[in-house]
Amino acid sequence: MRIAFLLTASACIMAAVLMYSSRLESRLLRMDPNAIPGSFALAAFAHERGERLFEARCAACHGLQGQGDSGRGIPALNDSDWLYGTGSPSDIEQIIKYGIRSYHPKAWNLAIMPAYATAEPSARDSKIPPLSPGNIRDLVEFLMYQQGRPADDAAAARGGELFTGAGGCYDCHAADAKGDSAIGAPNLTDRVTLYGDGSRESLSMSISYGRHGVCPAWVKRISPAGIRELAVMVYSLSHSQ
Amino acid sequence: MSVKVSSRRSFILMGAGALVGLLMAGYSLFTARGTSTLIVPPEDVALVNQQPISRSDYLLQLQTLYAVDLAHATAAQRRKVLDDMIREELFVQRGKELDVASIDPDVRAAMVNSVELEIAADAITAQPNEAQLRAYYAAHQARYASEGIMTLRDYVFRAGDANAAAAAAEVLKSGPPTQALLAQWHASDSGKVSGEEFYFAAKIHLGEPLFEAARKLPDGAVSAPIARPDGIHVLFMFKNKEPVAFDFPAARDQVLTDYRNDAIGHLRTGDEAFLRKRANVLIADDVR
Repeated sequence: MRIAFLLTASACIMAAVLMYSSRLESRLLRMDPNAIPGSFALAAFAHERGERLFEARCAACHGLQGQGDSGRGIPALNDSDWLYGTGSPSDIEQIIKYGIRSYHPKAWNLAIMPAYATAEPSARDSKIPPLSPGNIRDLVEFLMYQQGRPADDAAAARGGELFTGAGGCYDCHAADAKGDSAIGAPNLTDRVTLYGDGSRESLSMSISYGRHGVCPAWVKRISPAGIRELAVMVYSLSHSQ
Repeated sequence: MSVKVSSRRSFILMGAGALVGLLMAGYSLFTARGTSTLIVPPEDVALVNQQPISRSDYLLQLQTLYAVDLAHATAAQRRKVLDDMIREELFVQRGKELDVASIDPDVRAAMVNSVELEIAADAITAQPNEAQLRAYYAAHQARYASEGIMTLRDYVFRAGDANAAAAAAEVLKSGPPTQALLAQWHASDSGKVSGEEFYFAAKIHLGEPLFEAARKLPDGAVSAPIARPDGIHVLFMFKNKEPVAFDFPAARDQVLTDYRNDAIGHLRTGDEAFLRKRANVLIADDVR
């Protein structure tokens, strides 16, 4: 009789845990993702499960703490600088779901940094002209100047004209070089660099040979609840302080 | 030794097992994917003939159309977005029934493109490890180098002035000529290249034969006279910076892209081969 009672009680407890977990998952999915961080219980539930997914799917590139790797052009997820969107849970969820240049039709794939030191800088836009070595040096000086770092003034002035003129840089990075998170064009006036250490050499490499990082689309590989849990977890990385 | 059988305990255990089984079956029946269900799954906002409309797509549509999140959207805005998405789903389903792909070339092209994208998306989900990337880099190292840069002058002599060009080439070895010297030789700067140029640009400007001669010249060297239809050319190389091979860290970004592109190519070829293998394709005798 005692065994029967224990078995029944265990089954009931397991069923209750499953139902509770399922109920929380449903609430998580039905809730506006941007409101989840305000709900302690849901955020904690999502964070705990999201951590396991992050470790399995994202940490290989972004690092276990989401610290990124500028040597490989992998963005840090634990700061407040967001290249795509505003860093809200819903924006993060869209990126996890559909990726960046992931070949998914709904992916973010508008901006691809052209390789200006090649005969055809952009495979998509044949109107983007190649630049000369001198042009690229001028643009680098312009960027150094924009970031408030020591620069050759004359070269920076020439670079500025190129930036807002024939080089076509303004088209993505905006005329004030502050970028456009709607298309993933980085702000070039701050000192946050996705690739390299922000030195003249690394800036020159970016302009010369282009950049086009990729984040896969996880939409058919992680469940909807898992994607949301990951989004909440990644959001919390940048709001841990 | 006799074994005491408790029929009461057996009934209780059986009853508990049946109850748990029924609960699980009932729950699965109404929530499992792929089954007809009366409940809209929490990740969706609607089911149209069992086809889900994703909640996150709905939120994105709200954001795109009205720049509001769910909490700030009016009932009318929510209704409009949902109606539009349901309408789209209904028309897509009707399109499948009508087999529009068989008559509409745009739909056919979109479907081909979509399947290709799907294959590519699958390929990039698999993240290659560093060893695989390094092996790929080692196997294709010639691809990963900087673009060469040259600064040169291209002097053109009249077609019949072979001797003058040869003499000038000797003189040029001591440095670039003055305008007076060029005039004396009846030569001129072709103007095809000006200042520093990447190799690819110099190749376009000079043309293949002159570029091939130029790329071999070290700093300060002069080419032998090169006869071309527009005259005899002598090249003076101020500075020639040959392409420099990138080490793996510098090339990694491009290596990863190339690796993925190759993987996408292989997957596409494999998928096409599979589709051809399982298809029943009959070709008319006269076009075989």
